[in-house]
Amino acid sequence: MEPLDLFSMRESYNRQQIMLCFNGPISRSLIEEIGNALRNYLAADHAHPSAAMDVFGVYIELTQNIRHYAQQQGWTEQDASATVVVARNEAGHYVVSAGNIIRPQDGEAMLARVEALASLDKAELKARYKEQLRKPREADASSGAGLGLIDIARKSSAPLQANLRQLADGRAFLSLRAEI
Amino acid sequence: MNDFSIPGTQSTPAIQGDWAQGILSMQGDSYPENSYELFHQVFEWVERFLKQAGRPLTLELKLLYLNTSSIKAMMDIFDLLEEAHHQHKPVAVNWRYDPRNERVAELAEEFKEDCSFPFAILSHD
Repeated sequence: MEPLDLFSMRESYNRQQIMLCFNGPISRSLIEEIGNALRNYLAADHAHPSAAMDVFGVYIELTQNIRHYAQQQGWTEQDASATVVVARNEAGHYVVSAGNIIRPQDGEAMLARVEALASLDKAELKARYKEQLRKPREADASSGAGLGLIDIARKSSAPLQANLRQLADGRAFLSLRAEI
Repeated sequence: MNDFSIPGTQSTPAIQGDWAQGILSMQGDSYPENSYELFHQVFEWVERFLKQAGRPLTLELKLLYLNTSSIKAMMDIFDLLEEAHHQHKPVAVNWRYDPRNERVAELAEEFKEDCSFPFAILSHD
């Protein structure tokens, strides 16, 4: 096993202003516990209550989407793995990123949806959100991440970024990045 | 038993239904993974009250953050109220929020847009 260099990990986290990061199987209670830690960090960071609620909301939607997806696929709790990072960028904005293993065709569909949302302004996003809210629950479940993704886009100050990496086992890794 | 009380948790609001007073109250955050489990009993209580009680119903809300599945569940409850309002049944919502967090008022405002019954958004200190 390659020895862990905690010091260089720390240096890299500090350099990239990473407040919180997580990698591994993510359970319902873990989402809540990490969410708690995130809220405490945001309070200690003197984030405005509205900004703190937006960051928390984006974190919740991203991680719950990952859990829902794994459940839909019938994957075990162990397979419901997520990579989650909350950081600040140079401009001082909070950035929430989350990644998970996904079937390549689902990943392609997500890229298309993120791209479609990117061209919408706030008013158009709101209209799309209300339209999605009125759709039957089943329609939302089968498409997955419908309302959540629009909600994240509405809370973001810049278009969402998504990328997909093909893995050797035929699956893919999807990364989503939201800047609040 | 027509009254009910569900204690709040970190991710679910405290909810009380008072049949005699015609008041349904909710306080706190709501971001459970499965909102349906929590809200269907609230939905059923409201539905039953509107059918049977023959009295005004008021929702007293101090809700804070709602995830999208909780928002969908709340919309279903407001739709019940809207339908009752169209049948000339008296229904109302009072949503109280902390003025330091305008996101809560914005959230309440978006619900209010789709409701024609009395819907008050009140700041408290």
